[in-house]
Order: sequence, then C-alpha cells, then structure tokens
Amino acid sequence: MAHRHKRTRKSIEAGEVQMTAMIDVVFQLLVYFIVTIQPQDVIAHLDVFRPSPESKQEQLQTPPKMIRIQIFENGFTMNDRQVGLREMESLLARLAGIDVKQTIMIMATANSRHEDLIRVLDLCAKNGLQNLSVISTN
Amino acid sequence: MRRVREEGGVNMTPMIDVVFQLIIFFVCTVELERQAIDESIRLSMAPHGPAVEQKDPREVVVEVDDRGRISIARNYMNEAFLRNLLRNVVISHGQTTPVIIRAAGGARHEDIRRVMDACAYAGLWKVSFAAVKEVAQ
Repeated sequence: MAHRHKRTRKSIEAGEVQMTAMIDVVFQLLVYFIVTIQPQDVIAHLDVFRPSPESKQEQLQTPPKMIRIQIFENGFTMNDRQVGLREMESLLARLAGIDVKQTIMIMATANSRHEDLIRVLDLCAKNGLQNLSVISTN
Repeated sequence: MRRVREEGGVNMTPMIDVVFQLIIFFVCTVELERQAIDESIRLSMAPHGPAVEQKDPREVVVEVDDRGRISIARNYMNEAFLRNLLRNVVISHGQTTPVIIRAAGGARHEDIRRVMDACAYAGLWKVSFAAVKEVAQ
C-alpha cells in the first residue's frame, strides 16, 4: 500500500506539467473578459412602407379611410387635430381594436426630430398596427 | 491500468493551445463586428417595437448622426454616392434587400428623408428604422 502511494506521487511530480500556475492564468483571463464584456442593447426594427409611384394612385382612391398623423417640430396632429402623445396612444388603441390593417399615413415635416417619428412608430407597433406609410413633407 | 492513465492523462498542452486559439478567434471577430457600426449614435427608444430575431445577410445599415451625416460602416458619404451604392446593391442583391436606417434620435427628419429618397430612387422598398428596445444593464 505504502509502496503504491509513493509510486503515483512520484509519477505526478515527474511527468505532469504544473497545472496550478496555468489555471491561475486562465482564471485571470476569464475574469478579465467577464469584466470587460459589454452587453449589447436589444435592437428593434420598425418596418414602414414607402410610397412608390404605383401606390400613390391607390391611396388617392381611398382617402376617407386613411388616418393621417402629422409630426411637426413641436407636436403631433391626427387628421388635422392637435393631439398629445397620450391622446394619440388611446386613439390608436381604439383604432387597432377596429382594424389593425388600417393604413396609417405618417407625415413628418423636414424639421421634425427623428425621435418623434420613432415614438409614433413605437405606439403603432405597440397596438399591432401594420400598414404604416411614412411620407416626408416640407 | 495505471500505466494507461499515466500516459493518457498527461498531455493537456495541445488541447489548451486549441482552446486559446478559439478564445482569441471569438474575441477578434466580436471586435470586428462592433467596429462596423457607429457606437456614438444614440438611437431612440421603442420599447414596444418588434425585436430583431434574424438578420438578413444582405441587409444594408445606413447610419445618420445628429448632424445629419450619412455613413455606412463608418464611411461618410454624400447623397449621390449613397444613391449609386444602393443602385449597385439592387443590381447585385435585388430589390427585396432590406435597408435599416440607424438614425440618432436628435437627427432631423430632413436628413432621414434624404436616405429614404435615395432608397426610393434605387428601388429599395424594405425600409425599417432601428431603435433600442431594451437598454442593456
């Protein structure tokens, strides 16, 4: 028994590489990467339709069903009536309850901020509205 | 029995070499992917937007910063160049290529419009806007 024990210990000392130092280094590396890694933000893609020359005529044929949201530098209007974000949200929710396929024309003026457009698109996405057209106006 | 264990268990070195190679490979590729987008652009928040689940390998990411400068993979370009580039994209990948506009929240719509007009000019119609759904902790 004693003899066997001695032999295994000897073989470890002679044959194997010193693991301890290497494991230390590996842990150092591991900790370094865990600390330095930056979690990425979750990105959403808001799909929109762009008017093409062919679809322009279709839109002209059905003007009454269209919901127009206009984005100005300092506010929003829905079908030419000034609304706040809250009101727009409740109106869109009601609209989505009727028909989520309803076309919504989002008209952004040149000086409006992109953030506001994203806000409107986000509200539409929240309510599951699918047909969103973005149109640029002056 | 004991002899087999002694001879088989010793040689860790090649495996560790391979593992390190893999680690270095992944670290390098992650860095490269991160360099392809402009980190300084502050996207606006869209907590209800649909999360990106799969990427189309053809997708073109056009970036617009606060000052209205247009860039792709950190190469700044003017409108004419963008138009030509998008036209070449249509020739090589077809009109269904998705375009993602990654614009700063403070950018004016006028500058976004220039990108959208260039897309329309090239015949690209799959346009979407990138926004942040969830901020990483």
